[in-house]
Amino acid sequence: MINLKDIVQKLDLKVVTGNIDREVSAGYSSDLLSDVIANAQKDNIWITLQIHVNIVAVANLQELAGIILVNGRQPEEATLKKAEQENIPILLTELSTFEIVGKLYELGIHGNRR
Amino acid sequence: MKLTKIKEILEADVLTGKYDPEIEVQIGCSSDLMSEILAFGKPGSILLTSLTNIQVINTANVADIKVVCFVMGKIPDENIINLAKKNDVIVFITKLTTFESCGRLYKNGLKSCSYSNLDK
Amino acid sequence: MDDTRTTTKIQELTYELKVEDVISKDIATVSSKLPVSLLRDILYKKRISGVPVVNDGKLVGIVSIEDFIKCLEQGEMDALIEDKMTKKIKTLYADEPLVHAVMKFEKYGFGRFPVISRKDKKLVGIITKSDIIKGILKKLETAYHDEEERRYRASHIFNDIIADEVFLKFQYYVEGKNFDRAGEAATGLKKTLYRLGLSPEIVRRASISTYEAEINIVAYTDGGEIIAYIDPHQIKIIITDKGPGIPDVKKALEPGFSTAPGWVKELGFGAGMGLPNIKKFSDKMTLRSTVEKGTHLEIIIKLSDYRNGE
Ligand SMILES: Nc1ncnc2c1ncn2[C@@H]1O[C@H](COP(=O)(O)OP(=O)(O)O)[C@@H](O)[C@H]1O
Ligand SMILES: [Mg+2]
Repeated sequence: MINLKDIVQKLDLKVVTGNIDREVSAGYSSDLLSDVIANAQKDNIWITLQIHVNIVAVANLQELAGIILVNGRQPEEATLKKAEQENIPILLTELSTFEIVGKLYELGIHGNRR
Repeated sequence: MKLTKIKEILEADVLTGKYDPEIEVQIGCSSDLMSEILAFGKPGSILLTSLTNIQVINTANVADIKVVCFVMGKIPDENIINLAKKNDVIVFITKLTTFESCGRLYKNGLKSCSYSNLDK
Repeated sequence: MDDTRTTTKIQELTYELKVEDVISKDIATVSSKLPVSLLRDILYKKRISGVPVVNDGKLVGIVSIEDFIKCLEQGEMDALIEDKMTKKIKTLYADEPLVHAVMKFEKYGFGRFPVISRKDKKLVGIITKSDIIKGILKKLETAYHDEEERRYRASHIFNDIIADEVFLKFQYYVEGKNFDRAGEAATGLKKTLYRLGLSPEIVRRASISTYEAEINIVAYTDGGEIIAYIDPHQIKIIITDKGPGIPDVKKALEPGFSTAPGWVKELGFGAGMGLPNIKKFSDKMTLRSTVEKGTHLEIIIKLSDYRNGE
């Protein structure tokens, strides 16, 4: 387990909502909500380019540790509001999915075992 | 990075295409949205995706992406394989997740498509 | 790429193919006994610059748009075509190798030559530079495997004989709502552009743009058409459909705006990046749309390095 706070610091992520003092079990990368609902696991950090409000509901449902939005994307207004309400950390990066996942991996965060 | 090394790292199987272990791939990109790949994917890169339909192959084709790797153990159907064959797109499959696949490749030195100065 | 080899193959083909293999046979002709005034329809409607004059199947001259305009200026619309046409004309025999045609185009700088049969001197068709290029492309398509074909691109013939007025037109129909066939037009066009010897970067930009536009036709309409015009300066791609149209074009162009239904999203599209992508990869993009009537998208990609090849 790695603390999300450390990740934010080391990868220079921008925190827009949520409490980042929590543990991350592993990483999950997907742009398909149905896939995340089916395959992500509790305390995963989720990497996606989706910015729609539904991502908050999915993160909540799966009890994810947080969502990283890639490639400089900003969350929609409604997403931000909902994430604040639900206390879901939303983090931003300019990097691509491939690269931010790579950097997380180097910090010791792996994918879920299958 | 040579294809043979990528194959080993991802514990992947080769399904089709002009697979040659010596082919070099420098850049990785990953998304389940094809427009994102069209916008940022670089020629000659490997695309990792959990989406399995023929538009992934068409996307790779028009964007000059050499290798497509379907993750999570998804087996593409015959149409996908045939189209890939026709267009010389090499198809890999791996049981690993997108996260694990990208992570391993990056850690082993594959570059990201967000570096535009790597354009080839 | 192995340049000598490419050139050789294309040159071989210009010897191998005959003029009659590439000509347009469906052509308009006029008889010499008709008044000049009758040319108006043929020249303007068919948008051609010259018409062969034929009596009993035999070629007796050629009458051009310049001849017609001269008569118009001088009020001689009732004159007979035979008095105004050019009688001394350069022709090609149908059974000559294509290379003769290539040489004649270079020598005389004409836009077209009438083609006659050696036996009875009857007119059998017309040949343009564009016919030559298309004929060679077609031959490359049918005669060689994909791998070989890469080496045999038609770029050199272009470098050699292309003139400013030559353009090629390629047309594709796109079925609405059928995702299994989506992408066929874009990948088909890509192949053709590649064979024409355009640079990989140009080909990539044109085919990505076409692909996104094609996906939109499939996703949002009941079908449409893609036409690509290629001339020495640019690729122009026109994508049209007959509805439902876009209510707010400005909004549709915003990154992230999308009305894509769920089935489109599941296939990996519908994040509102299609039109922005087209904008990104083209030099000029014009989108016009009328609700219930249809959408007209024009994409231009400039070919600054066209003659210099790769
Ligand atoms: N040919 C078309 N006919 C009708 N609507 C269209 C057409 N092309 C685009 N649109 C509209 O414009 C929107 C944005 O298109 P685009 O940028 O390609 O994104 P996406 O297809 O991902 O939604 C579409 O969601 C759709 O509402
Ligand atoms: Mg679209």
